Amino acid sequence: MKNISAIVRKEFLHIIRDSRTLILIILMPLIQLIMYGYGINTDVKHLATALYNEDYSSLSRRLVESFEQSAYFDMKYHVRSFEELRHFIDRGDAKAGLHIPSNFAKDVLAGRQAQLQLIIDGTDSNPANVALNTAQAVVAAFMQKETLVPAQVAPIDFRPRMWYNPDLKTTFFMIPGLVGLLIQFLIPMITASAIVREKERGNIEQLLVTPIKSHELIIGKIIPYICIGMMIALLVISTAHFLFQVPIRGNLFLLFSLTLLFLIVCLGIGLFASTVAQNQQQAAQIVMFFAMPSILLSGFIFPREGMPVIIYQIGNVIPLTHFLKIVRGIVLKGLGIGDLWPQATILFCIAFVILSSSILKFQKRLR
Amino acid sequence: MSSDIAIEVNNLTRHFGELVAVDAITFAIRYGEIFGYLGANGAGKSTTIRMLCGILAPTSGTGTIAGFDVVRNPEDIKKSIGYVSQRFSLYDDLTVKENLSFFGQIYGLRNADLKNRMRATLQTTGLDRWTNTLAGVLSGGWKQRLAVANAILHKPRIIFLDEPTAGIDPVSRRTLWELFYQLADEGVTLFVTTHYMEEAERCHQIAVLSRGKILSKGSPDSLRKKVPGKIFEVNCRPLMKASRVFRKMRGVNGIMAYGTNLHVNVSDDSDFEKTMYRIAEKEDVAILAVRPISASLEDLFATISEE
Repeated sequence: MKNISAIVRKEFLHIIRDSRTLILIILMPLIQLIMYGYGINTDVKHLATALYNEDYSSLSRRLVESFEQSAYFDMKYHVRSFEELRHFIDRGDAKAGLHIPSNFAKDVLAGRQAQLQLIIDGTDSNPANVALNTAQAVVAAFMQKETLVPAQVAPIDFRPRMWYNPDLKTTFFMIPGLVGLLIQFLIPMITASAIVREKERGNIEQLLVTPIKSHELIIGKIIPYICIGMMIALLVISTAHFLFQVPIRGNLFLLFSLTLLFLIVCLGIGLFASTVAQNQQQAAQIVMFFAMPSILLSGFIFPREGMPVIIYQIGNVIPLTHFLKIVRGIVLKGLGIGDLWPQATILFCIAFVILSSSILKFQKRLR
Repeated sequence: MSSDIAIEVNNLTRHFGELVAVDAITFAIRYGEIFGYLGANGAGKSTTIRMLCGILAPTSGTGTIAGFDVVRNPEDIKKSIGYVSQRFSLYDDLTVKENLSFFGQIYGLRNADLKNRMRATLQTTGLDRWTNTLAGVLSGGWKQRLAVANAILHKPRIIFLDEPTAGIDPVSRRTLWELFYQLADEGVTLFVTTHYMEEAERCHQIAVLSRGKILSKGSPDSLRKKVPGKIFEVNCRPLMKASRVFRKMRGVNGIMAYGTNLHVNVSDDSDFEKTMYRIAEKEDVAILAVRPISASLEDLFATISEE
């Protein structure tokens, strides 16, 4: 035990003295938080819209108001021709165009089918879809409000509701996942380089002839990085909650326990990289080799549901995939262990396999 | 085994696949002795040290270090020895004090005990004014003293030093050797590997290793006596031409160049000088002076390698 505490203390000294690692540990979470919290925002709000209203009626004005009140469409440009409308969308100044024909109100009031045209820039399919759905909802609500549709004409009262994140805020989705991303990215990197550094600088030669046991060395070297990982998790979760108003609906203790489990998986990856790599650069490359597919295939950015079967299956063996389900499940849905035990079990198995095999490999190298 | 024997090995052998890195070496070293282990790179010096430190199992043979068996009790050996590696292997980014404190704890030193030992060691090695300096900033000589300080911190009675003075200036080298003698006086055994012949002369006992085998061992004096024939110092020029010419002479065992002189090892010296002058005249080599000298370890090394 005393040996382990000596190593832990020494390791913290290394971390404090190594400004490069220290900057990485502090700056990376901050930068990512700012990026995902403020910068990368795929919320489809305030879409610049060009309005071509040929119908000077109060009804059409009320319709335009309904669009604006949804907060999804800003009538930024008022145009006089369809050509002009096309021009704004072509240039990308407007992402949507609303065309109300001249006899719109007359047709509506006469009970004839009136025409209304919405043009959406579909270049980016995601916001385009949201805009389309919103527009349909706006028009449906408008018709209800103006009692243009008698109740008995609609036999199905369809009331879709968005759960967990009703406003579809990107930050709600991204920031909890960031806990996983940062741990996945930083922890294997600094663990691997901390161990490889001993090899690279020849320190291991001195350690070998001391009475220290290899498990003491491993545990002593790992503990500081567990602390750092948990600190990152705490930092990100509290920023998410207090700065970005992400509600935390589930049990915090469960969240941190499972974060610890994921942390151990990542330490295992770092340990594994350190047994293979000869220097810190190689270790960093091996870690990146694990990190890149994790970011792309885990569902951190791209939804996994749309992936081809093979890619989807590869995603299933990536630890981050399961941790994202856990962290988003606890934070956004308030899920408990009763819902998350499959993910927790998978993580536990991965942790066991990767940790025991790298410790075995590590020991062989020491002898 | 008598209790004043620190290190005893019998037919210690280590194979790496086909290669025999260390081949049946046998020696005994007493406490308080400085044992010089000589050999070229790749002769098997490091392999020997690794076996004696308990981090590499021998293929065959036996060894006892501080009373512990190299095969059965490697962990006990580790506690009883100090080790100074060839390459500085303490932590550059830790201060002198932090390095010593860390390794002291690893060796089981605690609290007051650790503090006292650190103070004593810093004093012995003269490192007390560098206590709070980062190890990486120290000069080569001071780094090496720190490595020695680290090795003696837990008061081991045996210290292994793998080329401790390689790449160090002569002044630092001398202070280090003074430290070694002081330790030997206190009864500590020092097992030193080296390339330097002048350094080998300072040891109480030496063993010369070549291709894993011990070719010769004993005190420097007794080894010098083992040099066959006699050594003549010949001041002549052009030097390398003379070396080539004299090498062909009958009775010449070996020739080495030293500055402006040649050291010629001759087995039959009865009419050596006369023959040499005659050949020199014929080959257009100028001989300025010839005098018999006593053999040095360097000469021994030269003869051994010529064989």
